[in-house]
Amino acid sequence: MEATGSTNRITINIGPVHPSTHGVLKFVVDIEGDTMVKVEPEIGFVHRGVEKMAEGRNYNSYTPVIDKLDYIAALNWEVLYASVVEKALGVSLPPRAVYIRTLMCEMQRIMSHLLFVGHVGEDLGNTTLFMWGFRERELLMDLMESVSGGRLAPMYVSMGGVYYDLPKDFESRLLPVLHTIEHRVLNEYKALSYENDLFIARTKGVGVISREFAYKYGLTGPNIRGSGIARDLRKDEPYLAYDKLDFDVVTEKGGDAYARFMIRINEILESIKMMRQLVKDMPAGEVKTKVPWFFKIPPKYTFVRQETPRGEAAMYMVTNDDTKPYRLKIRSPSFYVMQALRELMVGHKVADLVAILGSLDPVPGEIDR
Amino acid sequence: MESLDRIKGRFPSMLKDVPSTNDNEAVVELADKTQLRKIVAEAKKYFDLLFMLMVVDRPPKTFEMNYVLSSYSKKDLLTIRVNIDRDEAEIDSIAGIFTSAEWEEREAYDLFGIDFRHHPDQRRILLPEDWPGHPLRKDFEVTEEVKNWTGLDMKF
Amino acid sequence: MMYSIIYNYLTGYFSPLVSEAGAILLMFIIGFGITLNAPILLGWVDRKLSARIQSRYGPVYTGKFGLLQNIADVMKLLGKRFITNSVVDRLVYNAVPIALATVAFLMVFIIPWGNNDLTIIPLPYNLLFIYVFLAVSPLFVLLAGWGQNNKYSMLGGFRGAAQITTYELSLLIMLISVAVLSGSYNISTIVSAQSSVWYVLYLPITFAVFWMASLAITERAPFDIPEATQELQAGWKIEYSGIRYGLFFIAEYVRLLVVSMLIVYLFLGGWNGPLLPNYLWFWIKAVVVTFVMMTLRWVFNRPRIDQLIKLGFNIMLPLSVINLLIIGGLVVF
Repeated sequence: MEATGSTNRITINIGPVHPSTHGVLKFVVDIEGDTMVKVEPEIGFVHRGVEKMAEGRNYNSYTPVIDKLDYIAALNWEVLYASVVEKALGVSLPPRAVYIRTLMCEMQRIMSHLLFVGHVGEDLGNTTLFMWGFRERELLMDLMESVSGGRLAPMYVSMGGVYYDLPKDFESRLLPVLHTIEHRVLNEYKALSYENDLFIARTKGVGVISREFAYKYGLTGPNIRGSGIARDLRKDEPYLAYDKLDFDVVTEKGGDAYARFMIRINEILESIKMMRQLVKDMPAGEVKTKVPWFFKIPPKYTFVRQETPRGEAAMYMVTNDDTKPYRLKIRSPSFYVMQALRELMVGHKVADLVAILGSLDPVPGEIDR
Repeated sequence: MESLDRIKGRFPSMLKDVPSTNDNEAVVELADKTQLRKIVAEAKKYFDLLFMLMVVDRPPKTFEMNYVLSSYSKKDLLTIRVNIDRDEAEIDSIAGIFTSAEWEEREAYDLFGIDFRHHPDQRRILLPEDWPGHPLRKDFEVTEEVKNWTGLDMKF
Repeated sequence: MMYSIIYNYLTGYFSPLVSEAGAILLMFIIGFGITLNAPILLGWVDRKLSARIQSRYGPVYTGKFGLLQNIADVMKLLGKRFITNSVVDRLVYNAVPIALATVAFLMVFIIPWGNNDLTIIPLPYNLLFIYVFLAVSPLFVLLAGWGQNNKYSMLGGFRGAAQITTYELSLLIMLISVAVLSGSYNISTIVSAQSSVWYVLYLPITFAVFWMASLAITERAPFDIPEATQELQAGWKIEYSGIRYGLFFIAEYVRLLVVSMLIVYLFLGGWNGPLLPNYLWFWIKAVVVTFVMMTLRWVFNRPRIDQLIKLGFNIMLPLSVINLLIIGGLVVF
């Protein structure tokens, strides 16, 4: 015990090996009693030099590396990376490929949010919610496997489209799954999470992100939509097929952990709505524009940003007339979230650390790159 | 872009337009790096989100700093590009203006070895404290020291 | 009484001295058997129940319905190496698991197992003794937290001590209300006082508060705040492994069982019931209560320690005091 002076301040390390850090993160927390007075997040435990790796391999062989960035929503990042390269190359996609990509992005978003729901449950000590989140995610995992062959790292998006067409019975398998998930999220999760008094007691008013705070730390995505900022790149700067879809940007007023939880719950429902439209309007035709395996991109700066389940992700690629990028900068939304945690957590109880961290949904693979 | 014109109006002949290859994006080049803080502080009135800080290593002479500013309410992007000397890689920190720049600058310090003056807490962020070198520099070599680095002050 | 039944049976074959020794030995074996086997069985039920709630199967491979899974786990725990961190306070560290298991063991000896004849050691004021054995545990939690010399365990120990102390006050007051109503601290007297009307009808608030307090005092989820895996990893148990950890499990499940039985004895009429033999009635009730106790663990998340203590001191304690005053008034006038 390191009690300093007359105050009963103790420094504890939460992480890097800790059940609630969702991977390998570390918090150096000073506590007085049970209250956190200083929080210093430390990252970099799973740093793999992803940006350096980009400079060493050609555009196509870099896609598997992208899969390991955000391993919860790998497909969204694959799409983002492919979009950057395609934009630099000037390739346009066949309409079916656009729809398939949008469909898979939304599927991945539901999977990510289901995992989030489960993890918040687990962090608050409700293992049943955790298991249920995984149970529903598993249904989509099976579909993902039937489409791409991979479950966690699909490696499905190719330059100029997607590698394979959807399986023939995909629609007939997808729609019942969507119905099941919608039913369970609306009815079964309700009693266990968002209408449960103990759950509300633990999440309401915890880790409140105000509009100013979100601006200060550059937070994006569901985390700020919980603070009433209606910003969603899918709506504001439509990419893929999002401009043809009818969906709402979900916002909540509270800005606390509960609001962020509700954002994810409602986004699952919105995504289900979108997926139904996508399946209905799915055009026929090719799924891929022919792009050679090796290609060179003339010197230019290419910037693309998209909405991943964790917020606004972006890639800024500098090319140099070579078969590999000269520099690829990756903006990961969770990186900014981690930075904000040092201020967000101060004054809360130790038990709230996991609630706040869980409600912000960071993924270490994406933070550390 | 209207906001950009206003920024340029405040600081005449300091910012030079560079053609951009992206929609909604305006790129300006700042020749005098000592003016960066002023420019960014002015730009913050129109662009309230530091979207990213990209450093590009252009050996043998320059580091190209790209401050990509964005806004929560508008689509516009503004990239402020500053070239700094590679041997004396040093620039003013903008963490006082955009709090979110603090970690981005720590990352640039970590991976490129750029020194940010007046940075509140300039430490390595992704790599260990005693890591040899700055890996995102183009001339970074995997030396024996890097290969044998174990992270432990221990003899085996 | 169990002792006299066994003694009388044995005197038919052996000399009185041998019979006495044999009876004592047998009762020890019975008590020991219950202490060791109840956690194994309850653990299996808990696993299966949680699995069903969570759309899983639970243990299936070890024996029929996975019944032997917990026995296998005990074997595993027994076979594990004793790992003792070099910084721990060895005496405290080693003593706490044994002490907790012993307390559980003592409760098994005192409480009636179905009806009054099935008590191993009959005591006139057994309710008070059980309360004392339940109440002594925060001391051990605090000691365990201290003895491991670990910040997490210390936090867990503080939390545990705070939590259990909060709830013991209400628990004691509620026991007093029951005692005032029945006029006795003896479980069998309390049960026979309920032969016409169960106390849950007289004392509904006390029943609810007692249920909450007993959840808190058994330190099972949702009130497993001292060992909160997600926050403190395992709280005050953090450095324990092997059979020492197993002893904690024994203590936890025996406490769960004892508390469930107490609920039945104090509020649900004990072994009173028509038609069926009385011990069967008791066990039906006890199993139902234990099942509900277990289910609660899997459907609620954990409250925060300050919320729990606030609940204890601001709501449950005043409620139980007011309840006691009302009952006292009713009994006197």
